[in-house]
Amino acid sequence: MSLLSPEPIQHWWDYYRRQPFWRLVQLFVARIFRGGGDSDTEGLDLGIGLVLTLLASPGAFVSILLFNKYGSLLQWLRGEHNVDTLLIAFPDEYFFIVLSMTVTGAVAIWRWDAIFPDRRDYMNLVHLPISTRTIFFANLVAVLFLVGLLAFDVNAASCILFPMVVSASQSHFVFFLEFAAVHAIGVVLASVFAFFAVFSILGLLMAILPPRAFRRVSSYVRGVVVIYLVALLCTSFAVPGMLRRAQGPAPLWTFLLPSCWFVGLCQSLRGRAGPVLMQLSGLALPGVAFLIVFSFCLYALGYRRQFVRIAEMADGTGVARNPRKWPWAAALGPLILRTPFQRACFRFVGKTLLRSETHRLVLTATGGLGLVLASQALMNAFTGAKSFRTAMLTPEALSIPYILTFLIIIGLRVVFELPVELRANWIFQLMLDRDRQECEPLARKVIFVLVLPWLLAITFPVYLSVAGILVASLHTLLVVTWATLLTDLLLIRFRKLPFTCTLPVFKQHSIVILISFCFGFLIYAVSTPDFESWALSEPRQMLRLLPVAIVAWYIPRHLARSTISLDRKLIFEDSAMRNFELLRLEE
Amino acid sequence: MLEAVQLSKRYASIPAVQDLSFSLRPGMVLGCLGPNGSGKSTTVKMLTGLLEPTRGVVQFEGRNIQDDLHAYRKRLGYVPEEAHLYPYLTGWEYLEMVGTLRGMTDRDIECKVETLLELFSMHPHRHASIGTYSKGMRQRILLIAAIMHNPEIFIFDEPLSGLDVTSALIFKNLVQALGRAGKLVFYCSHVLEVVEKVCSDILILRQGVVIAQDSVENIGQILGESLENTFLHLVDDVDTVRVASDIVDVMRAA
Repeated sequence: MSLLSPEPIQHWWDYYRRQPFWRLVQLFVARIFRGGGDSDTEGLDLGIGLVLTLLASPGAFVSILLFNKYGSLLQWLRGEHNVDTLLIAFPDEYFFIVLSMTVTGAVAIWRWDAIFPDRRDYMNLVHLPISTRTIFFANLVAVLFLVGLLAFDVNAASCILFPMVVSASQSHFVFFLEFAAVHAIGVVLASVFAFFAVFSILGLLMAILPPRAFRRVSSYVRGVVVIYLVALLCTSFAVPGMLRRAQGPAPLWTFLLPSCWFVGLCQSLRGRAGPVLMQLSGLALPGVAFLIVFSFCLYALGYRRQFVRIAEMADGTGVARNPRKWPWAAALGPLILRTPFQRACFRFVGKTLLRSETHRLVLTATGGLGLVLASQALMNAFTGAKSFRTAMLTPEALSIPYILTFLIIIGLRVVFELPVELRANWIFQLMLDRDRQECEPLARKVIFVLVLPWLLAITFPVYLSVAGILVASLHTLLVVTWATLLTDLLLIRFRKLPFTCTLPVFKQHSIVILISFCFGFLIYAVSTPDFESWALSEPRQMLRLLPVAIVAWYIPRHLARSTISLDRKLIFEDSAMRNFELLRLEE
Repeated sequence: MLEAVQLSKRYASIPAVQDLSFSLRPGMVLGCLGPNGSGKSTTVKMLTGLLEPTRGVVQFEGRNIQDDLHAYRKRLGYVPEEAHLYPYLTGWEYLEMVGTLRGMTDRDIECKVETLLELFSMHPHRHASIGTYSKGMRQRILLIAAIMHNPEIFIFDEPLSGLDVTSALIFKNLVQALGRAGKLVFYCSHVLEVVEKVCSDILILRQGVVIAQDSVENIGQILGESLENTFLHLVDDVDTVRVASDIVDVMRAA
């Protein structure tokens, strides 16, 4: 019998998978992917295969897009001769390291509740003849498996494709091998670092906080980590240049960006590191090692404090605090929300946005992206500006409210599509009149309530103090109008109560929608402020925007009028349009 | 009066319910019995309007409920088989939402919800999230949601599931009181003793077909047996003692 014969391997596998420890490992691996905690996960249960494909795709796409930059023929056509490939690959390598950290960190944040065993595991496992130590080690092995799988999956495509693209103009295969090996070390270590960084934050919170406080604080901490990751990604285009220009000892900010340590490691392994990168490369391996040991210790401590003592803790059905009353909301509510449907569903939507982890994370991510882009715009506005007033009237400064409103409105529109606890929507199916649904006005009011108050409270006073009442009024009016029109456009044929409908299936026009969002952003948050900055010197020029506004106002209304009554009905299932329909005449 | 007229429902080509007809008069508590897969849940869903029958109609006061489903549902109180609720809402918030959707005034909601929560011993937990509730507590929230707007028709699908002894007793008495108050009650359950105690009439389903329908007394008198034996006689031809004994034998086997 050959050593590579599948039978012994099969026997070995069958033997181990039936051992209690490995069965537990399988269970924990599955729960990490398929859900954990009390929250609903059915809405975003994408399946392991699809999740792994999605995680691998950014690295693959970015590598392919870079072919244009490294192709020798294209370089020759552009007139670029004797190009130092390693030099021009530096910013891209940094981007891949950041991408690897961001994706891995995002997955760790997404599966935050499922990484540690919880009450459900306790109730199901502890009464069985398994020691808590076995559960501890089984979960630890599952976590290690997850780290390995993520580090491999997220970086596999970039570890092959990126070196292939970079070495396209090289005649030696050794160059490819060396580049690929160093790149793989950098991105894999970055992935591992990102995962254990999140893991140690989680462990730290579990170790130092009581369970109730942990639950309350963890969502805020996750929000902060998401914003950090978004910021890391958004600054990845600027950091390589800053690193190259840095002289002497490494600047303080580089110590706060672990991505700089790993790019330093890659450069030092290739013998291309300057003093700054050499200094930073020294932090990479010790940093990863320290973080792994540190997170294991915290994991053990957190496990002992939270999991082993679950039975001693109250099961959470205790008396909760009375909710806070908001008199102003009680007074304003009936004015804004006219019907019982709007009042009830507005509260439902508001509470879901505040309390559902998935929805909060998506909103935090888009809000965080908005904040990062707005900060960049603000920095650009003040670069080289002669006075505060001049800076605030540049297109960059004017674009800030546009950027924020665009991303928050888009973020809200996206989260409206994400279902929550679908099995509980029977109550709406039972009570709502499908023919007289008011979902569109409801969604519009939710968006306005979340966008307009801060927009009016910040934009108008800031510009009033900087540029006077005319500019402040015009700018505020334009931003509010644009936000209103964008909301109208996004809610065309919206006929579902947010969070109660199945996740829309991937449609053929989804890519078109994605591209439309990108173009929309350019028109909304780049071209409009450009025009506005020019037109504010001659306010009558603003009237040129009127036809655009009228068209954008007319389109949704025209489409609403032309919609047949069947397409106005409230839906709870967003199914793809079938090419043919069975008539079922036998029934 | 609520009437089911020759109701049939097929899933793809598989019949779930066939030619089901019955009427539910004011003051009547109709118990629906049947083994798993007999079509009870499908019947309940058609009665609530959640499912449209493939053939036949459900009529309330002589009108097809599908003609004005919204108006019908305003007069309906429904407790589903499984307590699927939004885990991040508190019990109070959920009931407030349901009350508002039913068009109740804020004062009415506050008054009724507070009182009913107190009566169902849920008042101390009203501001805790539903995710932390036990099955029985969720069930009590569902019961309050179904009765708080004083509907005319009640459809209960396994309403006692998870309830403690006191709450179950309260509920059983409540069902009888609703019947005496002239309400229409459709009560689906597996617990024969409860059906026997609280229902005035019984409908027994097997494989989507009605196999018996009469008052509790008449069904017992016809066969001269207890409801449990009658049910077994009609629905399953299974020697339950023998099956139990076989199970023990399997457990003992090496």
